[in-house]
Amino acid sequence: METIIVIIKALVVTLGIGAFLGLLLAVADKYLSVKADPRLEVLLSMLPGANCGGCGYPGCSGMADSIISGSNKQVSLCKPLKKEKLAEIIEYLKSTPGPDGSVLNDIK
Amino acid sequence: MSIFAIIIACLFSSNIILSNFLGICPFLGISKKPSNAIGMGLALTFVVTMSAIICFALEKYILVPLGLDFLQLVIFILVIAAFVQFVEFFMKKYLVSLYKALGIYLPLITTNCVVLFVAQKVAAYTELNGVITFEYTFINMLVYAIFTSLGYMLVITLFSFIRVRIDSNKETPEAFKGNSIALITTSLMALAFAAFMGLSL
Repeated sequence: METIIVIIKALVVTLGIGAFLGLLLAVADKYLSVKADPRLEVLLSMLPGANCGGCGYPGCSGMADSIISGSNKQVSLCKPLKKEKLAEIIEYLKSTPGPDGSVLNDIK
Repeated sequence: MSIFAIIIACLFSSNIILSNFLGICPFLGISKKPSNAIGMGLALTFVVTMSAIICFALEKYILVPLGLDFLQLVIFILVIAAFVQFVEFFMKKYLVSLYKALGIYLPLITTNCVVLFVAQKVAAYTELNGVITFEYTFINMLVYAIFTSLGYMLVITLFSFIRVRIDSNKETPEAFKGNSIALITTSLMALAFAAFMGLSL
């Protein structure tokens, strides 16, 4: 019985503190959010999300950043990406202009 | 412990990098440019101070009275991670160049041993016949947390100035270039700082 009480206490405390910190971060995110290129989020959701680092960038978001900023033009660096998905990403990037109206044309 | 003794100990005689050998990874990673080193020091100071205050309060008023001391590590990491995330939001918005310069080392403050070391040290207590005494009072804890991270900042800043000269020195032997010469320099700095250990305060 005592063990169960301790477990319940531990659960309540951990969940409580976690929820409180989460709430604080949610508020901070709302007031400190930066307007990012909308393509970044879409591209990130199209990448496998394995964060394997096989492309040479620190995680999928690093890879997405480099493609959107134009410093890297090879989506094919991504090892776990499937062929159909790769074509889909290239199609998306060629058809969607960024906030300044420019399109990433020479993506491979 | 007088406050003055804590300050001297944190800055010089038991410096977090040079005599406890904690936080070496960002120390070597960020010390290539003085401006980045200061930025890292400030970010770390904020995270260490805030997480020490919160962790101290949580340990004293929630975890120990409820007998949940075994949750210490989990809760502390939770608090630290939340503060690092907050710093990241803040930097992304107001200090973009610093955010880019710190790169992966900014989220890695979460796993920076300095932060957890300070949090666990200020939350230390002794139990004697059921009476719990905390080693640090609130003021002592605050001074300890701030000056430990300032000690970190002092050493990383000093080292970054040295490193600018090392990196531009062409006479460094090929085998020592990069992190090896940096570690050797750090050990020489540690020897210099060891001279403060004889201070009796």
